[in-house]
Amino acid sequence: VKLACVVHRFGADIAGGSEGHCRLVAEQLAASHDVTVLTTTARDHVTWANRFAPGESAYGGAKVHRFTVDRQRDLHRFRDLSARIAGGRAAAAEEEQWFAENGPRSSALLDYLQRRGREYDLILFWAYRYAHSYFGLPLVRERAVLVPTAEDDPLVHASVLTDYFALPRGVLFLTPEEETLIGDLLPRSTPRVVVGCGVDPPPTADRRLLQRFNLPDCCAVYVGRIDPNKGCTALFEYFAWYAASHPEIALVLAGPANMPIPRHPAIRHLGYVDDRIRDALLAHARVLIQPSRYESLSLVLLEAWNHGTPALVNARCAVLKGQVERADGGLHYRDRFEFAAALDYLLAHPDVGRKLGAQGREYVDREYRWPTVMSKIEALLNDIAGSARAPQSC
Amino acid sequence: VIERVDAAALMRDIEAEAGSRLRAQLVRSGAAGYQDAAVYEDVRAVLRRAVDGRPGGSLLLPELLGADEPWALDPDLHLSSHRPLTGRALVFTKKRILLPLARWLFEYAQENFRRQQRINQALMACLEELAIENARLRRELESLATRR
Repeated sequence: VKLACVVHRFGADIAGGSEGHCRLVAEQLAASHDVTVLTTTARDHVTWANRFAPGESAYGGAKVHRFTVDRQRDLHRFRDLSARIAGGRAAAAEEEQWFAENGPRSSALLDYLQRRGREYDLILFWAYRYAHSYFGLPLVRERAVLVPTAEDDPLVHASVLTDYFALPRGVLFLTPEEETLIGDLLPRSTPRVVVGCGVDPPPTADRRLLQRFNLPDCCAVYVGRIDPNKGCTALFEYFAWYAASHPEIALVLAGPANMPIPRHPAIRHLGYVDDRIRDALLAHARVLIQPSRYESLSLVLLEAWNHGTPALVNARCAVLKGQVERADGGLHYRDRFEFAAALDYLLAHPDVGRKLGAQGREYVDREYRWPTVMSKIEALLNDIAGSARAPQSC
Repeated sequence: VIERVDAAALMRDIEAEAGSRLRAQLVRSGAAGYQDAAVYEDVRAVLRRAVDGRPGGSLLLPELLGADEPWALDPDLHLSSHRPLTGRALVFTKKRILLPLARWLFEYAQENFRRQQRINQALMACLEELAIENARLRRELESLATRR
């Protein structure tokens, strides 16, 4: 089958949930299909500045075709429109403008989809919130498959999305909660499946790599972008409050910081770390903390479980709470008292913590190994491609 | 050897423990009404239902307030001019010169408007939950009085 995967940014070193999901799935699909990744020349998700060279290249068995971004994002305009969306005050025209301003807007990519989209059997679009999906998918709706990566934020209730979600031929969800969130907006006949993301069995974690950081034995870790939108403000507040009476525990942060990190003796920021240190950290930690309120999957949660480490997640995020409950792989909290009581329990009962982590790994084994994930994706793609080829009856 | 940990059951214990610690702190700080654990649990359940279960658009009070007299926070800045000839130039000056200069103040105020809006929403939801509870209790009382 000839497939196109359309995503806003693409590259091995590009962090980002939907970008990473697209890259991993495209690699897997390329093993048995003719896959072309259609993307932009942007590297930075804030400005969309053109950084990669436009044109064709190759990646992991797939062809990559990059298109130039028309213009960088006007951050002031974007913030103003976002505020109107968040307040539920945006008219339909402003919602459309939000998608255009969110970008990356690439006329060349849209033109390519319009002219050459029919050369592909199916075209998969990642992340509904970006301009390439919002404006690109309607151009090839008869062969479009959407991977929405939707979160329960104000945008998902935008009025213009009712028509948009009715367009694709099929939908790949990351979690049952995401399906619940937007499943009702899809026509009943639209094929859909919850696939998640594949995770390879864990590499052997070399804990000696952590020696240079001189970390204490009792660590809670946060891995990912350190950002208020990821719940880090509340995390710092809750942890500092907890650590005041529990000096034995440290919070170790690994990832780029988009906000000031409090100067606190129990909070350690390692900055960006490579995969080997990340694995060692996840294996060493007593618990992974995931404080984000808006997640469509959380790959780092699966990675922690992969290493047998339990999780403590924000219960206000239905996806994280649902994952933890399905896996029996950790605990959740809604406020600082539950945060403290859960940490207390995990520190006082390390054997139970290890068991929760092991249960998380069993869940990953059951649901998130690549053969399982790809068999679901292939079944849906075959279903859609088959129905497209079948003769239409009157 | 631990056979299987039921995380949901464990969470129930942890939530109870956290609730008990919070209640103890409130009582220590002078909230004597929470000395009765059952009262505290009832209050907590009502407030949590209000905060969790009432997304915007599902409240009665804003509908009753109507839109004749503006009451909702309007954090958006509407730049316009009533002058027919120089109006466009004035709006251009405000948008392109004055607003960028005051942008930091505008965004600071806007973020605080958003916070105030969230609190207003939560308080209206709490008020409605209490009104619903009150209406139910009143009906039960009336029904008991009728039976007598």
